[in-house]
Amino acid sequence: MSERDAYPGFTPEDDAPIPYIQRIRDYYQALGYGAPYRWAHYAEVPFQPPKKTLAEWRVGLITTAAPYQPGKGDQGPGAPYNAAAKFYRVYSGDTAVDHDLRISHVGIDRTHTTAEDSNTWFPLTELRRCAAAGRIGEIAPRFHGAPTNRSHRTTIERDCPELLARCLDDRIDAAILVAN
Amino acid sequence: MCHQTVSLAARHLEENGIATIVMGCAKDIVEFCGVPRFLFSDFPLGNAAGRPRDPESQAFTLQLALRVLETAPAPRTTVQSPLRWSTDPCWKFDYSNIERLSPDEIRRRREEFDRQKEIAKTVRNERTAAS
Repeated sequence: MSERDAYPGFTPEDDAPIPYIQRIRDYYQALGYGAPYRWAHYAEVPFQPPKKTLAEWRVGLITTAAPYQPGKGDQGPGAPYNAAAKFYRVYSGDTAVDHDLRISHVGIDRTHTTAEDSNTWFPLTELRRCAAAGRIGEIAPRFHGAPTNRSHRTTIERDCPELLARCLDDRIDAAILVAN
Repeated sequence: MCHQTVSLAARHLEENGIATIVMGCAKDIVEFCGVPRFLFSDFPLGNAAGRPRDPESQAFTLQLALRVLETAPAPRTTVQSPLRWSTDPCWKFDYSNIERLSPDEIRRRREEFDRQKEIAKTVRNERTAAS
């Protein structure tokens, strides 16, 4: 065995996280779109050390999923990408009731998953269990929906302040943000 | 855009006193942006909170997210879930992988992308007019 061979027990070299930035860049260039997208990139990262224990926290939930909209085309499970189901403003919903949220409007992996079970992208039921078990103090009264926008300016200057205002109104200590 | 959106939102909340954790499946996009805490699941996009029809994996994933939220020692803390989508990693080769597409399929996708972009523009204009 040379140093070029995998040592017994190594996993294959390509069994690593997908390099999405490179994949997406190559993909859209091959499709004929010009300059590559400039992804958000910061050197400094804020950090808020917890002031209380988790069992005392009010926890909020933020999602990029969209409420199901009858008449707006196939929204799944198994739906192809559906831009008609997109939304462009922050929305909120009552965490005490169940919601039918879908992800047909975003770029999920449609080859290897079907969006058949909303608990894989919107863990409200599980969060309720954590609250009932005393793992967290309580769930915020509302969850919030974040629009996904190519424009950094729109996200940073319009949507993020709106999400913050709603989270401050809810008086949350912490937020779980689930991406798709 | 999803992972970038929640990453930017996490940063903004954190800057304003709210502790955050991002749950996601696109490691490079979240880390490139830079977030306080990140639970990475090496799953196909759309499964950041666990495997479909697998309540045990969903409970495990959220519990792990809460642990990271509670105990991260510093910003840019990434924890990778030990759960695996499959023992065969071949699912990772397909997403937006241009090397796997024929010229006809690339042409078809370009047309479909342009069509969806037009739909999105119409929806945005309608919503903006309505608000």
